[in-house]
Amino acid sequence: MGAYLARRLLATLVVMAVVGVIVFLLLHLAPGSPAAIIAGDNATPAQIDMINHELGLDRPLPVQFVLWAWSVLRGHFGTSIFSGAPVMELVLERLPATISLSLVTIAFAATTAVIAGVFAAWRAGGVLDRTLMAVAALGFSVPVFVVGYLLIYLFAITLHWLPVQGYQPLSRGLWPWLSHLLLPALALGLAYLALIARITRASVLEVLAEDYIRTARAKGASSLSQLFHHALRNAGVPIATVIGIGVALLISGVVLTETVFNIPGIGRLTVDAITNRDYPIIQGVMVIFSGAYVVINLLVDLSYTLIDPRIRR
Amino acid sequence: MSISRRNVIRSGMAAGVFAPMIGRANAAPGDASTLRGVMQGDLRSFDPVWTTANISAYYGAMVYDTLFAVDVDYKSKPQMVDKWNLSDDKKTYTFQLRDGLTWQDNTPVTAADCVASIRRWGVRNGGGQAIMARLQDLSAKDDKTFVLTLKEPFGLVITALSSCTTPLCFMMPKKDAETDPFQQVSGRIGSGPFTFNQTLTQPGSRYVFDKWDKYMPRSEPASGLAGGKVVHLKQVIWENISNEQTASAALTAGEIDFYELPPLDLLPQLSSNSDIKLMVMNPTGNDGIMRLNTLHPPFDNVKARQAMLYLIDQKAILNATFGNPKYYNPTSSLFGYGTPMTNDANTGWFKQAPDLAKAKQLFQDSGYKGEKVLVLQATDFAFMNNSAQLIAGWLQSIGVNAELAAMNRGEVITRRANMKPVDQGGWDVFITYGGGYDFSDPIMLISLAANGKKGWFGWPENTDYEALRTQWGEAGTVAEQQAIAQKMQALAWDFVPMVMLGSWTQPAAMRTNVNGFLTNPDVVPFWNVTKT
Repeated sequence: MGAYLARRLLATLVVMAVVGVIVFLLLHLAPGSPAAIIAGDNATPAQIDMINHELGLDRPLPVQFVLWAWSVLRGHFGTSIFSGAPVMELVLERLPATISLSLVTIAFAATTAVIAGVFAAWRAGGVLDRTLMAVAALGFSVPVFVVGYLLIYLFAITLHWLPVQGYQPLSRGLWPWLSHLLLPALALGLAYLALIARITRASVLEVLAEDYIRTARAKGASSLSQLFHHALRNAGVPIATVIGIGVALLISGVVLTETVFNIPGIGRLTVDAITNRDYPIIQGVMVIFSGAYVVINLLVDLSYTLIDPRIRR
Repeated sequence: MSISRRNVIRSGMAAGVFAPMIGRANAAPGDASTLRGVMQGDLRSFDPVWTTANISAYYGAMVYDTLFAVDVDYKSKPQMVDKWNLSDDKKTYTFQLRDGLTWQDNTPVTAADCVASIRRWGVRNGGGQAIMARLQDLSAKDDKTFVLTLKEPFGLVITALSSCTTPLCFMMPKKDAETDPFQQVSGRIGSGPFTFNQTLTQPGSRYVFDKWDKYMPRSEPASGLAGGKVVHLKQVIWENISNEQTASAALTAGEIDFYELPPLDLLPQLSSNSDIKLMVMNPTGNDGIMRLNTLHPPFDNVKARQAMLYLIDQKAILNATFGNPKYYNPTSSLFGYGTPMTNDANTGWFKQAPDLAKAKQLFQDSGYKGEKVLVLQATDFAFMNNSAQLIAGWLQSIGVNAELAAMNRGEVITRRANMKPVDQGGWDVFITYGGGYDFSDPIMLISLAANGKKGWFGWPENTDYEALRTQWGEAGTVAEQQAIAQKMQALAWDFVPMVMLGSWTQPAAMRTNVNGFLTNPDVVPFWNVTKT
């Protein structure tokens, strides 16, 4: 197990390095310049050149890359070209909002989807199954911004139950925190709900045909016990896989959701940085999140051994 | 518990009963002392002298103060300055500061602070550069008095010091003002009517300003950026909501009080809400322009440039983006729509345009040989995107080999600096716009220069025009400037340094309980504003 972990962690570093090189090259070879944006519309070419020089962007690309890579190896991801704040500080500042949104989303999507998937399998082919799967298909098909605006219109503008936008940290209280996350989590979570529900349904359906389920039913186990104690546990590995994939995909999913619901998270930080060509932020975020992506996959792999002890052997 | 359809329905009903108990969790509109606004963009730089970004000028107007300011009629008025005089030879200006001016760290504002601030601004601002080019001496005489001596008379000193063309001449403490003009200041201390609350501010998300109780407003009524900056609010919060739909929804729900630039297509929806009103805050709006690369064919030939005057249908361009004629006006003047310098000299083409036959004839007269004409199309800005498509289409309709180069604004800004021909990464046409007020000043607005490769993108060159521009800067009165502006325009529409694409305004939307916003070009002031 130790060797396996070491190999996976080493792979994480390799992935981060490759991502770092690709992101650096893509950014610097793409047209557009932060100096031109900083200088403003009235700037002359000479003023833009001067700002490029101040930012070190007029140096040869390999020199810029080596300086950046050396800085990252020492744990410094650079400073924002525009705000002057260290990238790591900006990321840590935005992380709570993104983690909050991701947690609430995945908690909502996973619990709802697993229950819906189990029920759909229990009544496979019936009205409940068809309805749940139709909702799942809809959730998977409708873009997050469409769902987002519909939710805002219904729950914020018409019913006035929940806020349109913004984020409140947990330190301001559970309800202020949760109320600002419910709509974005619902909008973002629908797609994952659909994905997880369909996988759950398929896995549970397969398990429900097993002999031991019939045995449990013959022994008088209740419907709930059959479904959640016997069937769900044995259908757990594919469900854990798809939840893991969902968590990883959330990293990209939060970008749009944070924009629609004005949540000051990593997604918005990245979008703003791309708009401004704030190279250090884009590079820093991409490298950090590529590492996070690999670690999440590792954790999913490790979770298999907890769900199904046979895998340990 | 067994699972039955009945139990599922019961659970659903229970959830339905519980849902309304969640209550109205949306953010309360807030107390009357706090105003939440969504401004035109994110506040990326806290140095309003270092950058020309308007949002940083807004920040500057909150935290810092200026020596002079323009009122609603664009007249320069003293602001931090109490008294000033000009020597008989018109070369020496003596300024005396008002009593009681204090930095927000409770130290007094001194003449030395102002001297350092003017010097730094003089590197970054066009008007400031014009002053510095003629400067003989700028020094503090005592704590409250400083003297600016020029080598030759220059009629625009007070105009430049009071101009709201970015970057404005904000006064900063000496230690900040001595920062390299090409580096950003780290200080956030000014002597303006608001302090910047760094504790509550979340960069990229929310910027918080508190009323500064020790600010001493002038006694005159507030007007434009001049007069008494009396603050009625305790706190102003700029929420950075980049998504227009979300910002509109937040205004509708009362989560914000003010939305500076709602998109025009959402205005009917917003104005139909009885709790929301619209107000044009910047009456001079913006003017769209088309720049032509005068260094290479076909636009190195004046006939081809003149052809573009006849080609353009400004109404079609404005209608494509702004739709409602209430908010736009075609413009024939080089000095924009409705500015003090606007005039109708040599605008016969305007009455005739669009005249595609005439445009085609002029292109032929220019000796056009079918070269590719590359039109840069900034797809992320509606005005630039729509205009580029229309212009390329019109060019093609008269037989010009026009081609669109789709890219984002950042790429246009980078590419337009390339002086080489199209096949070496250059360009022929790009579209941009500027604040309408800025078009009244050919010294400070660099796009109104015609000084060749030293000048702005497109690099038009005309020595007679430049001589007139210099005369304009030296003119003593507005009437003299207007007379020179007529001559400049008459000349300009012959050699065509650029083409006007029309003028437009964009109203702000706000809750009806918000009052007192002052109209002003380029800066949104938050003093004088009340919320009930």
